[in-house]
Amino acid sequence: MAATMELRCWGGDWGLPSVHTESLIVLAYVKFSGANITVTPIDWTWKTLTGTVPELVCQGSTITEPAQILNFLRKQRFNADYELSARQGADTMAYIALLEEKLRPALLHTFWVDAENYANLTRPWFASRSPFPLNFLVPGRHANTALSRILLTKGESPLHTITEVEGKIYSEAKECLNLLSHRLGTAYYFFGNTPCSLDAFVFGFVAPLHKASLPSSPLQSHLRQLDNLQRFCDHILNAHFSSHPGETRSPQPVQEMVDANLQKLTQLVNKESNLIEKMDDNLRSSPQHKPLRADPRPSLGNDKSSTPA
Amino acid sequence: MSLAVEAFVSQIAAAEPWPENATLYQPLREDQILLSDCASSLAVQAYLRMCNLPVHVSCRSNAEYMSPSGKVPFVHVGNQVVSELGPIVQFTKAKGHSLSDGLDDVQRAEMKAYMELVNNMLLTAELYIQWCDDTTATEISRPRYSSPYSWPLNQILAYQKQWEVRRKMNAIGWAGKSLEQVYEDVSQCCQALSQRLGTQPYFFNKQPTELDALVFGHLFTILTTRLTSDELGEKIKSYSNLLAFCRRIEQSYFEDSQAGSSSRGYSKGPSLF
Repeated sequence: MAATMELRCWGGDWGLPSVHTESLIVLAYVKFSGANITVTPIDWTWKTLTGTVPELVCQGSTITEPAQILNFLRKQRFNADYELSARQGADTMAYIALLEEKLRPALLHTFWVDAENYANLTRPWFASRSPFPLNFLVPGRHANTALSRILLTKGESPLHTITEVEGKIYSEAKECLNLLSHRLGTAYYFFGNTPCSLDAFVFGFVAPLHKASLPSSPLQSHLRQLDNLQRFCDHILNAHFSSHPGETRSPQPVQEMVDANLQKLTQLVNKESNLIEKMDDNLRSSPQHKPLRADPRPSLGNDKSSTPA
Repeated sequence: MSLAVEAFVSQIAAAEPWPENATLYQPLREDQILLSDCASSLAVQAYLRMCNLPVHVSCRSNAEYMSPSGKVPFVHVGNQVVSELGPIVQFTKAKGHSLSDGLDDVQRAEMKAYMELVNNMLLTAELYIQWCDDTTATEISRPRYSSPYSWPLNQILAYQKQWEVRRKMNAIGWAGKSLEQVYEDVSQCCQALSQRLGTQPYFFNKQPTELDALVFGHLFTILTTRLTSDELGEKIKSYSNLLAFCRRIEQSYFEDSQAGSSSRGYSKGPSLF
């Protein structure tokens, strides 16, 4: 049970524990299920080229791919899906398939194929995290894999260029984000009050899009219109990854705090004024002081006439 | 650009009613069609029957090449050609026939998610078993796929198709899977579908939707097709509510046609009864 497990993944930036979607999924699930795992970022090592990420090493055996890692953790009794009903478990599988089919191509395109984003954000980041001379190879390899995946899965057979497919994958991704937003509603997590594997998957996919400062992204601007998904990501970051430095507070909680403070202040003022009224009344009705009849001094909204003792 | 064209086309589509001579094209039923194409074709036929739209099924050996997207089946309606279930559903919706209008947003999200699950797991598994498993590919898929053609074209086309499918499996990460893992994935997918269906007649209670058509197409085809091993069919048979679901749809929507047209499959195996 207490076997040490080591997770190898890409490092973090932009306020996230990791910038890589699959790594983020596994990290989130680890936090939700309370597993004890040491995280080793593969930045600046030769694993950036040779290793498949993320990778869980436990007593000599290695497991890759988020789904397999999650299965393995469940077998080790770190199960965040324990309280889900059978139907919710089925829904989880369906929504994960939806994310893979509809959202992943557009995310791959946004980060790896779109020329402006790739040149300004993705390539410098991954190149700066790889040792020389891999910094020339690693980003290019990822970009090629991403492009071929998009074309093979979404490109219809006569049209093998990326431009015809772009419009379709972005519109599907926007629809997928809308569907997720409808499903999430106003709740903090997708199923009840505790996070489960679907929350981990959605967080892994949506958080990089939410946090990265992409120069050009219609998908990111679409996400900005969906408040509940942004709130979902921020809530998970605050609640489970709060030891990480960086900008994790968004303006919304601050605004809520201000409102709450204002409410508290108003209540305090009201209480104070009630107290003063009472004191006033007590003073008037005390036998030592003759009531001053003449002036109908406006008391604090009180109509009680003081009776002489 | 293509999105604007699509919107324009759907506007034109909305203008005309569904004609009587709409045709659905698929590869030759007895000799050529493969499991995955048969499943997709049956799903589209089920959907159109559920919408009460008449369509005539026509089998052509070059259906795949006639299709605008390279995938079968496709329907020829009026002067438009639309392929694959997703665009066909949108097309019929533009004409005013839709099965999922009564669903609210959350249910529609669920329906789309489950359709993606079927596409992601069942369809990919079918493609894997047909083309990446050597025994099936050699004994069944390659001979059937290239049966209308003569040598050497049949060899070239069959290997080309196999290479294409294997490339796609590589890209999505299924190339490393063993056959056992694929069967396990299918089993999990069926378990999810079975749990979602529960004891209801259809997935969204009383009315069938495109999800029911899609699931029926795939499950029925798998059950009535004989491959090199029966394991795929056995996985599905272990879920009784899915079997009852297939039987129910077959009885409600396919019984009125001739007896031979619904129990398809190159095994000439029995229907579900």
